Amino acid sequence: MRLYLAVAAWQSWAVLKRHLVVYLRNWHTAALPPIFEPVILLLVFGVGLGNNIPAFDWKAQNVSYLAYLAPGILAYTVFMTAFFQALFAAYIRMHYQKTWDGQLTTQVRLEHVVWGEALWSATLGLAYAVIVVFVLGGFTLAGWLELHWSGVIAMLPLLFLAGVAFAALGLLFTAIVPTIDHMNIPFYLVIMPLGFASSTYFPLESDTLLAQAWLVINPLHHLAEGLRLLLLSGVWSFHLAAALLLFGLMILILLPVDFRLLRRRVLGER
Amino acid sequence: MNGKKAFATPLLLQAQGLMKSFGPKRVVDGVDLQCHSGEILGMLGANGAGKTTTLRMCYGFLRPDGGEIRIDGIDRVSDPDRTNRLIGVCTQDDTFDTDFTVRDNLLWFGHYFRPRPTDLETRVAKLLTRFDLARYADAKPDTLSGGYRRRLMIARALVHQPKVLFLDEPTTGLDPQARMSVWELVDGLRQEGLGIVLTTHYMDEAERLSDNLLVLKEGRVVSAGAPRTVLGDLVGEHVIVLDANIPEAGAVRQWLKDEGIGEPIRILNTWQIALDGAGLARFSAAFGQLRFEVRPPNLDDLFLQLTDDDS
Repeated sequence: MRLYLAVAAWQSWAVLKRHLVVYLRNWHTAALPPIFEPVILLLVFGVGLGNNIPAFDWKAQNVSYLAYLAPGILAYTVFMTAFFQALFAAYIRMHYQKTWDGQLTTQVRLEHVVWGEALWSATLGLAYAVIVVFVLGGFTLAGWLELHWSGVIAMLPLLFLAGVAFAALGLLFTAIVPTIDHMNIPFYLVIMPLGFASSTYFPLESDTLLAQAWLVINPLHHLAEGLRLLLLSGVWSFHLAAALLLFGLMILILLPVDFRLLRRRVLGER
Repeated sequence: MNGKKAFATPLLLQAQGLMKSFGPKRVVDGVDLQCHSGEILGMLGANGAGKTTTLRMCYGFLRPDGGEIRIDGIDRVSDPDRTNRLIGVCTQDDTFDTDFTVRDNLLWFGHYFRPRPTDLETRVAKLLTRFDLARYADAKPDTLSGGYRRRLMIARALVHQPKVLFLDEPTTGLDPQARMSVWELVDGLRQEGLGIVLTTHYMDEAERLSDNLLVLKEGRVVSAGAPRTVLGDLVGEHVIVLDANIPEAGAVRQWLKDEGIGEPIRILNTWQIALDGAGLARFSAAFGQLRFEVRPPNLDDLFLQLTDDDS
């Protein structure tokens, strides 16, 4: 319980603030990926590839590939940003920069460092998602997309929660990978497949039991489909509730595991 | 006080019966220690003796399996927030925030404490001046020389004006001049009333700086007290230095065995044999014809003895 309560501790937010200050100092280079990545992806896949794909039926609607892709990129951005921060950036701070070791010689304890990393990853994931929303707004103004915007603001807390959950997954690998080179293993065997096989870039529909089970337990699938129904139809679907539940479970289960593993790795406690 | 240098100043750090095991191996086994205001307590021991583990329990990185630690009377385990506010930690490795400049490292460290250090900017400016870091204030820490990095580490540990300072091998890897300047800074901090706990592998450093020593071996305290007392307890009153290649080497070895002293410590071509006054008299009587040097023991002898016992 102490671990969960640490989310509200000033130390956790001090860690987040530190990351924010460092990030903002490098804003001119740091802002490039969140702005240009969705623009490029939407242009290359949505417009370029989409022009060669006829509109198709999805949930009883006829949608263009660009319209299908847009909410998927929004979900994918939160997922990848939060996960990447909690894996690579956190690992570098922990292992190479010794930032964590320095923080731990203060009133900041490991539970605060873990929460600080998770909250920061989620903050960045949310910020990048907001940038994607603006990019999608630009596409809408250009007449390339037709989206329902009414529920978008209400989605922000869910996107933040998604960021915390994906960060908890990233921290799990940060805690266990022996070296930075070993990050290729979770990245290419877990994260990339998860990122794509989650209704983000293409529809995933199958009658097989295995595929059905995968979709039921996959929070990114529910997030992508929930956002898609909201943005394309203005419908609040069960997918959003499922995503909320699964993200909550991920946080409840993964963060204590992260903490335990990191306590061993960082402090030498067994 | 059992040969311990006595202090009338407040007791700032008190640990009793500290225990720590990693798996089946007990690394710290019933360690007691104390440090008063204005005292430097030196912790000595060979690698694996339990120094760093003891220190890490004291500054909160590790949770003791048993025993109690009090910082200025407050229990370390039950109130980590308050006790962390009272201590400063300078770890052996540099743990700067490399994303910040020297000044910002000090300023940002202040943000990790509540209540916030009062007038933080003035405090940081004073530390930069005192530690001769002002000219590097806007540089990144990784551009500093080893000596200045250490200065920054110690300055950073003092931003919040702690009462107890932990220094884990603060001069390892420094050149003699840089070491001496760190010693002067540490000595100045002692005079200001900080309680300082120091671990080091440099015996001259421990001898010059420490008011009291704590010698650990296999996780236990084997001696504690003022440096001279500890040396007397563990090494002896005198150290004989003689050529190890003399024809009488076999006879000397046998004599040592008969006296229950065991093998002499060998350094290059010399033997170093620690003896008390009576032992020295007996050795002189037995080997009066040999040329040998007699000198007072130092902490190097102690360290060699501890490591020699281990081997």
